[in-house]
Amino acid sequence: MTEALAKSSPMQLGKLKTQHIMLLVIAALLPGISVATWFFGWGLIINIGLACCFAISCEALALYVQKKPIKAALNDNSAIVTAFLFAITIPPGSTWWLVLFGIAFAILIAKHAYGGLGQNPFNPAMCGYLFLLLTFPLQMTSWHIPIEQGTLSPIGWEGFKQSILAVFPFLFASAESMVTTIDGMTMATPLIVSKMAGTNALLEANEAGLALFLRSSETGWELMNIAYMLGGLSLLAFGIIRWHIPLSIIVTVAVVSTLFYSPNSSAVFGTPYLHLFGSATMVGAFFIATDPVSAATTTKGRIFYGIIIGLSIYGIRVWGSYLDSIAIAVLFGNFCAPIFDYYCRPRVYGHTKRSLFARVTGSKP
Amino acid sequence: MLLLIDQVFIQLGIAFVGALLFWRLLLNIYVLLVTQTARQKSFIDKINRCLPQTQCGQCGYEGCRPYAKAIANGDAINRCPPGGNETILKLAQLANEPLARLDPAHGNIAPLLVAVIREDECIGCTKCIVACPVDAIIGGPKLMHTVIESECTGCDLCVDPCPVDCIDMINSTDKSIPTWTLPTTSGALATQLEAGS
Amino acid sequence: MSTDSAFKLNDIKLRPHRIFGGIKPPAFKSSSMRSRIMPSPIPERLILSLRQHQGSAALPLVNVGDMVLKYQLIAAADQESALNLHAPTSGKIVAIESALIPSQLQQSEMCIHLQPDNKDNAIALNEISDYRAKTNADLVALVKQAGICGLGGAGYPTANKLKASIDIEAELLIINAAECEPYITADEALLREFAKEVVSGAEILQKICLASRCIIAIEKNKKEAVSALAAALNNSSISLVQLPAKYPAGGEKQIVQGVTGLEVPSGGYPPDIGVLVQNVGTAYAVHQAIVEGKPCISRITTLTGAPLQTPKNFSVLIGTPVSFLFEVCGIEEEQLTGAIVGGSIMGVELADLQAPVVKTTNCLIAKSTQEFPEAGKEQACIRCGFCADVCPAKLLPQQLYAYARSCNRDELESHGLFDCIECGACAYVCPSNIPLVQYYRASKQSFAKQLKQEEKSLYWQSRFQTHQYRLKKNQEDKLSQRKTKKNQAEV
Repeated sequence: MTEALAKSSPMQLGKLKTQHIMLLVIAALLPGISVATWFFGWGLIINIGLACCFAISCEALALYVQKKPIKAALNDNSAIVTAFLFAITIPPGSTWWLVLFGIAFAILIAKHAYGGLGQNPFNPAMCGYLFLLLTFPLQMTSWHIPIEQGTLSPIGWEGFKQSILAVFPFLFASAESMVTTIDGMTMATPLIVSKMAGTNALLEANEAGLALFLRSSETGWELMNIAYMLGGLSLLAFGIIRWHIPLSIIVTVAVVSTLFYSPNSSAVFGTPYLHLFGSATMVGAFFIATDPVSAATTTKGRIFYGIIIGLSIYGIRVWGSYLDSIAIAVLFGNFCAPIFDYYCRPRVYGHTKRSLFARVTGSKP
Repeated sequence: MLLLIDQVFIQLGIAFVGALLFWRLLLNIYVLLVTQTARQKSFIDKINRCLPQTQCGQCGYEGCRPYAKAIANGDAINRCPPGGNETILKLAQLANEPLARLDPAHGNIAPLLVAVIREDECIGCTKCIVACPVDAIIGGPKLMHTVIESECTGCDLCVDPCPVDCIDMINSTDKSIPTWTLPTTSGALATQLEAGS
Repeated sequence: MSTDSAFKLNDIKLRPHRIFGGIKPPAFKSSSMRSRIMPSPIPERLILSLRQHQGSAALPLVNVGDMVLKYQLIAAADQESALNLHAPTSGKIVAIESALIPSQLQQSEMCIHLQPDNKDNAIALNEISDYRAKTNADLVALVKQAGICGLGGAGYPTANKLKASIDIEAELLIINAAECEPYITADEALLREFAKEVVSGAEILQKICLASRCIIAIEKNKKEAVSALAAALNNSSISLVQLPAKYPAGGEKQIVQGVTGLEVPSGGYPPDIGVLVQNVGTAYAVHQAIVEGKPCISRITTLTGAPLQTPKNFSVLIGTPVSFLFEVCGIEEEQLTGAIVGGSIMGVELADLQAPVVKTTNCLIAKSTQEFPEAGKEQACIRCGFCADVCPAKLLPQQLYAYARSCNRDELESHGLFDCIECGACAYVCPSNIPLVQYYRASKQSFAKQLKQEEKSLYWQSRFQTHQYRLKKNQEDKLSQRKTKKNQAEV
């Protein structure tokens, strides 16, 4: 028997590696993050920084416990992407322990308990988010937007101070001031308003000029979604993600919400525009559902996966008891992905009677 | 009235399900009785197909089929050295038994060999020809014998009977398939594999 | 192939069709295309392998010490899958011994070692003034005599391919000039300078295989070659199809799809759908063999890579050692880290630079660390699906990888492992540095081995049964004989 060779072709390899993919994903998130920061203050940036630190520590801990090479695995930047995705989905300015719990669950349980990168069946960031939503529902549904007196902008020095204090409440001198500050900056997302108002909330709210907060936050959400969409489109242009998943999610959400929406009814369905740009749909469609590890990988499978996620996003938002549903919808999609992959295999070259070959010869190959 | 109809329906339903179950039971008993012998036979055949057919008798039986019969009757599945781990795996699946390491009492896993007769030393006693289970040795009394390599199963049974010890077991010269091996994995994967094994 | 289906294949318009998947790696072709094709000098020793391709070895006709002349037959094909071998130059046979040849698994083969006398004395060639007067069987015999094999890839003997296509009445002949792999420019250079000869070779091939249509398929980006071909094809019935540049558009199955839109059935070959594919190099060799009477003793080989000062295409004598060619090109030793035979994707790393050029060697790349850095460590598969997007066979490489690691034979088969053409596009794009092709090769081979073992065991079983039947019969015969003897004695 001949001595076995160590190396097989190809001799030349592409330049795009896992760590680059992860960095590109982070780069594509930046426009959305900047817009979000502009409207909702420094809390988001602080959360991201915090989440990254926790994520890297948790990853290192998990690798150490499992006796895997730490440095090589940390170089793939996957923990940082999880941290970013997690941090942009939780309310900006969330308390530090909220971030810690979420990240610890995401990295230690959702990722490494299943075998680490590439083995986790569910999106770790969304697992972390859902874990927090179930354990700390109050904290997870109130958005803390610091507003500076006079300027109405959350990104001044005052706003930064408030954000820092929101994230690290132990820095307060007394409990009294904490209560007042926090009270002053809690607000609702457009979806919450829509759901709570009972009628076509956005229209009504606008007409009544209900709140300055609401209006500014509404534009904020729009612009944020557009920025995330642009980031996602750039990922598409770079070939990091394929169009199937985002497009099928967006189309499904748009179609279903258009079907159920009627402007004069009193139902709580919300406009298609609200569903696409007044919520986290763009982040979900371009960044979260496209997480390759837990998504479907066949072309047809990706489309079904997107449709399932789109349907569950809308269904949970409108008929479910949770406010925004990206996390649950994506996890539901993750459940279904392996089945889609198995049954949506593409027709292999030269196989089955539908091929052109059969049309020519009139027989099955 | 309505209540009565409901009652009737429910009872009919129960009766129907009961009848179905009873019918299945009867069918099962019938299948069990009628086909058991046939099944037993095909089961032995299936086991026999998993065995390497070297007919070497290292398992302690006359050949592969007798051992298959013994397995069907509950003998251990780990007595076939030529088949190695693959055969044990197949047998465990087939006979629904737990995996076990090869019983060292019956031999060790080794690459398949073939017998070769040192022809100038052969005295033509025909003892090896009698011993060969697959008639892979040709030759006549007082004439030199030789092994047809392609027919030899490497069973080793001809070595002992030879009065002049002129039979060697050598590596097969068949090298028509060059080998690729699974890549030697490194880093995280290697550790995983080690942890798994 | 029935006439009915033939009619349909002839209906298909030959134009660029979409092929599945594919990648666009940087080409690195311009450096070796700068200069014209040069005949390579004669080295001090030619090493002529008896097995020039993936077939069986030829039978040597010469002994050590014999003097041979150029074009003289020195090893004959005694089997169907073997190739005739001719002396590339005149000289003395100094040895017939085993030597390393370029191949996937670094095998050694028996080689005839020829020491040239630098006189280049040739035997007389019998040129054929008009090949059209010859019968097809004669022409196939001439091709076989010339020892021509497919010069593009695996080197299947051309005569056998032609015979097969005559049998099935091929309707379409595709001359494959889609040299899609990076670095290789042998076919492009050949077309640039010898387009007329290639077209003549294509016409001969078309006559032999009786195909009603013949096209030359080339990639769009080879501008010079395209214009040279267009000029040569002026008065010819052969047409040109320009395919988009994409790897592996030049694979046999892919080019059939790229030109006709048809797929070669799984497990089959292009003749199964009435198509014959030949490489341009082969067409040129056929032209030389039939029109000029020259057997296949040289081929166009690209020499390229950063450590070479003057990368170029050579008309290389078969058997020339790789190291000699590198020296002719001017090599910077300190940069050189090895050599690759073939393109940078499908190529094989050469263990020893003394190995000779064989008939299938289309490219030799001098390796350097800048161009071919050490591949990174294998990381975990993140199921990104890049591999599935580029697979020209539309397989799911990451699924195959998972099943290969778990040695799941049933799933591997149902996921089409044996439809994998080992083009390496998946491993090229893999962001985790997973040597996917090696997993598939290893799996394929372990299955082949298992299958062989199963066949063997089935055979042994039947032998054992015969053996037992024989013993039983002997016993019965003995008993009956005893009985008759006893009866006789009693009587």
